[in-house]
Amino acid sequence: MAVNEVKPTRSELIELKKKIKLSESGHKLLKMKRDGLILEFFEILGKAKNVRAELDASFKEASEKIGIAKSVEGTITVKSTAFALKDAPHIQVESHNIMGVVVPKIESSSVRKPMNKRGYGVLGTSSYIDEAADSYEILVEKIILAAEIETTMKRLLDDIEKTKRRVNALEFKVIPELTEAMVFIRLRLEEMERENTFRLKRIKKS
Amino acid sequence: MRLLQKFKNKGKSSQYKGSSNYAYLATRVRAMKSNLVPTETYPRLMNMGISEITRLIQETEYKRDIDELARTYSGVDLIEHGLNQNLAETFTKLIEISEGEPNYLITEYLRNYDVWNIKTLLRGKYYNASTDEIKEAFVSAGQLSYTFLSELAGKQSYSEVISALESTEYYPILKEYDETNLSDIENRLDKMYYDGLFNVIGGSKSKDRKLFATFIKTEIDIKNVKTLFRLKKAEVDPDEILDLIIDGGLELNVKNIKKLLSLSYDDFVQALSKYSYWDTISEIVSSDTDSLINVETQLTKHSLKSASSFSHVYPLSIVPIMDYIISKRNEVNNLRIITRGKAANLSDDVIRNQLVI
Repeated sequence: MAVNEVKPTRSELIELKKKIKLSESGHKLLKMKRDGLILEFFEILGKAKNVRAELDASFKEASEKIGIAKSVEGTITVKSTAFALKDAPHIQVESHNIMGVVVPKIESSSVRKPMNKRGYGVLGTSSYIDEAADSYEILVEKIILAAEIETTMKRLLDDIEKTKRRVNALEFKVIPELTEAMVFIRLRLEEMERENTFRLKRIKKS
Repeated sequence: MRLLQKFKNKGKSSQYKGSSNYAYLATRVRAMKSNLVPTETYPRLMNMGISEITRLIQETEYKRDIDELARTYSGVDLIEHGLNQNLAETFTKLIEISEGEPNYLITEYLRNYDVWNIKTLLRGKYYNASTDEIKEAFVSAGQLSYTFLSELAGKQSYSEVISALESTEYYPILKEYDETNLSDIENRLDKMYYDGLFNVIGGSKSKDRKLFATFIKTEIDIKNVKTLFRLKKAEVDPDEILDLIIDGGLELNVKNIKKLLSLSYDDFVQALSKYSYWDTISEIVSSDTDSLINVETQLTKHSLKSASSFSHVYPLSIVPIMDYIISKRNEVNNLRIITRGKAANLSDDVIRNQLVI
């Protein structure tokens, strides 16, 4: 709000005071939200780091196990055995709220199955296949967990950025401008008051 | 049709036709064995890259198969399919050149490839895999020819596949398949294979056949021990495990296995120390062993080594032929382990550990 656009009236001053009060309380709340989000973010960052490390380890393990299964049993065996597994894991995406930020909550079921319930026969397969399937089931679970945590982290980061911009806009733009306008009106009103007093004195004298 | 007729004619043990041609077969097998990759080549292969290994394999009897498949596959896939094709051709050749008793014994022993191909067909149809994908997974080293299997792979549904196998001995099991019991059907087919082998060795009286029986019984024992390890570790119900046990082992009969089933995993591991297989796995197995891969590898090595230990006795019998079948299969496995292992960036120690040299 440019100062020259402000009408130096008492009602405008009251309006401005209200706006400043509102902006200051909004600024305080947004600052609290930002700090809260940052705290949540750091908490989730720790978890994300652990999950990512676990995911990397699971991927390495799964790659090694499938490599062993393919080399010992052959790709043909691994591929044929994979044909026996048609059931895909069920993934349910729900949402929940962290300080106004909607984040996903991913629930999964039937990812891990007992070895004798996977769909392939036990006698015609081996522990090379079992362990490759096992390690990939673990990997899928870690991917689901990492997807939930990393999406939450990204959403929180976006919201922190947005809140930070709002806090800065209020702190460095809106509130100073409103304050400047208020000061201007106050000075202008004082000036008008003085002019009036002077005018009245002149009238009295004459 | 010829194959189906062959199946129809196939009866129970000792009902084989024609005179046994052991002398001829043993000579052919000896010549074929001389084409196997020498043992000292494997350490050299371990130090080579994939392209060098491909070049070396192309200097062996696999050249024709690799050249033939080079239009369809490349890299490690080419090597693997080339090895499998050669294995299938070699074993089919053995069935074709043998007559009488050896033909019957070889056919029964290689029946596991037929079982494998039927399982692949059922799995492929269950998954709605394309005809080409199913055909890629065939290893036609048994009685069912690749052409016949390809025809089956082209069928629209599993019921058509099963109808086409109506005249085979697999039909009584296959007709019970209803798309919800695939693992059960697979297990029953595998059990049928081992039961068939057990029937083959049932009435053996000669010394060479007794050796063959010992080899088959050891194989059954090893299969049972592997199954027990896998299922006990997965804490599967003892009754379910018992259904998957194959009768006719050398040291572990069903009565012994029933005793093992009632034990906890730790006690089961302890109880195994009474059997000769324990020496092979004692150093790597414990109650807190996470992975069974090494246990299974050691048991497989034990099975192959026990087979090769009596390969030189009775030269005009089934023994050298079985030794060749095992050696050939082992060669294909070793070459695949090295190439696939290198392609998957497995460490040299892991690859070396899986090799049976």
